[in-house]
Amino acid sequence: MELETLFVIGMFLTFGALLMTGFPVAWVLGGTAVIWTVVGVVAVENFGANLWFDYPSSMGLAPERIWGIVESETLVALPMFIFMGIMLDQSGIAERLMNSMVKLFGAVRGGYAVTVIVIGVLLAATTGIIGASVVLLGMLSLPVMMENKYDKGFAVGTACATGTLGILIPPSIMLVLMADRLAVPEASVGDLFMGAFLPGLMLGTMYVGYAILRPLLQPNVAPVPEGLGKVDISVIWEVCKAVVPTAALILGVLGSIFAGLATPTEASGVGALGALLLALFAGRLNLPVLRSSLYQTTRTASFIFAIFLGATAFSVVLRGLGGDEVIESALLGLPFGPYGVILTILFGVFLLGFFLDWVEITLIILPLVAPVVQQLGFDLVWFTILFAICLQTSFLTPPVGFALFYIKGVAPPEIKVTDIYRGVVPFIIIQLVALAIVFLVPEIATWLPSVAYD
Amino acid sequence: DDLRWKMPVAFATNLPGLGSPAAWVADNLTTASNGSIRVRVYEPGELVPPFDILQSVSDGKVSAGYTWIGYDQGKVPAVPLFAAVPFGMKPWAYIGWYYYGGGHDMLQQVYANKGFNVHAQLCGIIGPETAGWYANKIETLEDYDGMKIRFAGLGGKVLERLGASVTMIPGGELYQALEKGTIDATEFSMPAIDQILGFNQVVKYNLFPGWHQQFTAQYLLINKDEWDDASESQQALVEASCTAATTLGLAEGEYRNGAVLAGFQDEGVQADQIPREVLLELKAVTEEVLEEESERDADFKRVYDSQQEFMETYKVWDSRAYLPSDL
Amino acid sequence: MTVSDQGPSGHPTVTDADELIHHHTELPDTGISRLLDRALTAIGKLASWFWVVVTGVIIWAVVGRYAFGQGSVLLEELQWHIAGAGWLLGLAYTLVVDDHVRVDVIHERLSLKTQGWIELFGLLLLLLPFLGIAIYEMIPYALSSYQVGETSQAPAGLPHRWVLKAILALAFMLIALAAVSRLFKVTALLFGFPRPLKPRTSQPETHSQDQQGDAA
Ligand code: NA
Ligand code: NA
Repeated sequence: MELETLFVIGMFLTFGALLMTGFPVAWVLGGTAVIWTVVGVVAVENFGANLWFDYPSSMGLAPERIWGIVESETLVALPMFIFMGIMLDQSGIAERLMNSMVKLFGAVRGGYAVTVIVIGVLLAATTGIIGASVVLLGMLSLPVMMENKYDKGFAVGTACATGTLGILIPPSIMLVLMADRLAVPEASVGDLFMGAFLPGLMLGTMYVGYAILRPLLQPNVAPVPEGLGKVDISVIWEVCKAVVPTAALILGVLGSIFAGLATPTEASGVGALGALLLALFAGRLNLPVLRSSLYQTTRTASFIFAIFLGATAFSVVLRGLGGDEVIESALLGLPFGPYGVILTILFGVFLLGFFLDWVEITLIILPLVAPVVQQLGFDLVWFTILFAICLQTSFLTPPVGFALFYIKGVAPPEIKVTDIYRGVVPFIIIQLVALAIVFLVPEIATWLPSVAYD
Repeated sequence: DDLRWKMPVAFATNLPGLGSPAAWVADNLTTASNGSIRVRVYEPGELVPPFDILQSVSDGKVSAGYTWIGYDQGKVPAVPLFAAVPFGMKPWAYIGWYYYGGGHDMLQQVYANKGFNVHAQLCGIIGPETAGWYANKIETLEDYDGMKIRFAGLGGKVLERLGASVTMIPGGELYQALEKGTIDATEFSMPAIDQILGFNQVVKYNLFPGWHQQFTAQYLLINKDEWDDASESQQALVEASCTAATTLGLAEGEYRNGAVLAGFQDEGVQADQIPREVLLELKAVTEEVLEEESERDADFKRVYDSQQEFMETYKVWDSRAYLPSDL
Repeated sequence: MTVSDQGPSGHPTVTDADELIHHHTELPDTGISRLLDRALTAIGKLASWFWVVVTGVIIWAVVGRYAFGQGSVLLEELQWHIAGAGWLLGLAYTLVVDDHVRVDVIHERLSLKTQGWIELFGLLLLLLPFLGIAIYEMIPYALSSYQVGETSQAPAGLPHRWVLKAILALAFMLIALAAVSRLFKVTALLFGFPRPLKPRTSQPETHSQDQQGDAA
């Protein structure tokens, strides 16, 4: 085996092993970069290894590369969308949606589950903070579903999976980060937002399908609740009143991007202001709330950017050790043909998703594989959306599945971890089916960007 | 000694004229030197963000870099004069001044005066850019007033004076911004490159002449210590390769642009001329801006004066010697 | 803190979400750490207000463009300058409240002592060397920007680029301070040096309402 290949494998193994110690991911990345800089320099200087590796053009470039992150205009959207999500969370919009929509759908078999999904999709189109969505949906819906004797796994799986839609359905900080890393005109933030829209909706619809079909086949999973009022005009009016602010925000943010009134970065600022106003009108905005939301935004943005810092060091050292060539030739050397390469990458990302979260995968893996995908002549928007669906799924796959952790924390005590695992399995299958559909019918991802911009 | 250069580039090597010479130079140096100079090209952002190529070459973090040096005008105010000058020289006039009029030595001096430890070598040039892609026709100077336009460099400063709202939206977002009307107009490069970015699919007015960039020059920047350590034969080979790349880059653009432009017109793109009165006005404002820059930076003044002086003597030749294009 | 006792209405917030995934090692406090943490937290909280400013600048830019047809290169640059300073200065604060993401699968099952050893080696062999190299490279980077009087490359952009480059170097120094503070807590746990402080009756601020983050 060539030295480069050994080093690249060694670097990834070091990263994986150190990660398992539980030391923060960001610093494990940075530290691994330092360790392998030392290995690389020693190999070249003391053992005469025939490598194009030196300190100045690897770790030595840290300030230039980190500055490149600081001066990115696109990335301003990241903290802004986070702030928007946190403010929105404070505004109590979700609670109002839940209270009104339960009356609308409650009487149908599986109606509570459908309600959760519909609200989840609406929330997803306004924000992308998965923690918030999962916690909110779990807290609001699980007690009601338990009261009505829903199957524990069915109930908790629905709330958990629905909460992850926000990372795929735009606006999404994951898509912002992906566009920044890809840095090509054909996969800009706007393209990716457009491209993810239909697949996201499709997933939501498939979730709803599951929530309706499963109780039809197994009625005891979701008994029809008794004693609910009839659906009349006042109920519908309630729902409308609850939906209007959400719809306004969706229109303001996604609408202004899709209509070209604002760049995605600008739209993120408009969204932040919109969420602030909604919290204000809901009477929930005061100084302590604003303060804690701002602190929260800083900590969330900072930990994502911290991973960015570690990842940029990791990448430059990996590149110095020949990582690009190794991975490119490994992928292109696969005997499955172009589509096989894509499937291999996606399968790899799905597996990585069990252990890593989306930030590391986006920052390290996406830039490594994107050039290969382009070289093979595939549409980068299509591929990135497939990649994004894989990463959304990673929130649901143990052992490191953040949505699972979140839901575990808010679920009533009678819901056990095994219920959660059992409950998300059907949704993981739905995710894979959706992945297959988008893989086979690329137009689901590419059609909207093409009609919007051509 | 054998040289191994890591060479980050500012433009993707698939961009004709702009990025392609970098890949050619890298290959040619290895082949022609029989492996005594080996150059590895790093596409934009792979190693160093494009705007930091000068810094990292000067610091010796990478041995060489290939870039449009105008990106560094925030650090070295005089470099735009070597990269693209509004109402500046035609490409062959520019290389005349660069090779024979003292330009090459002045450039080394300009970098040294700002403390940058680099050797710069002209290593690619393309002809005029288009004056941009516009949603609406430009008929008078007032049309620039209030226009939302993406326009780089000194030309941007000129348009700002005329009341345009100049932004620097990242290249990746240009297409959408233009399509959606976030901006009314943008410039980027010459037709063979603009085509790759797809502006012709979005707006129908492609304006000429490219008053803001009659020539666009790229340079190979080499760490000065690395350059001084190179043998004379290696240095000679770098100089010769870059001179050849300059010719090839210009040739590639000239060869392709006509066909591309004709293709645009078949698709209904209107290749309009900016009216002469407007050009005269733009020229007057440009001179104001350049004079101001001269007052601010001694190197800028020295280079600008040298270029002005050359253009003055060149004028009579330029206006008489070439056939009018309609003949 | 459990989620259900948050707020009068029981309204769950994102801040609760963090409690559910972040597993914090309960390190003892020390005198010097408390001092450092307080300062770094104050800086991080101050920087948090930048988000309001960025929102304002963006709105200003958008309104300016549509209402007055005003140019905005300056405002565009202002956005990433302020946002950049915001998250850069928040990095140390995020370390102080231990909000950087960990893979907890094994970690949370380990004894406090073992976690302490992991933290010790992690800080000494991973974080501090990384920060050391970065700071060593960032200081000349900022300095050279100052020396050439670097401005924006856009003629209408912001001058004094060295300021943000200096903030970049400063931010890394602050992270290093946060790491040192944490290092003292770890050695206090493992070796009793510096002397661990008895937990105060009312928990220090950083451990009650601020130990919250979110894996977006
Ligand atoms: Na979203
Ligand atoms: Na997972």
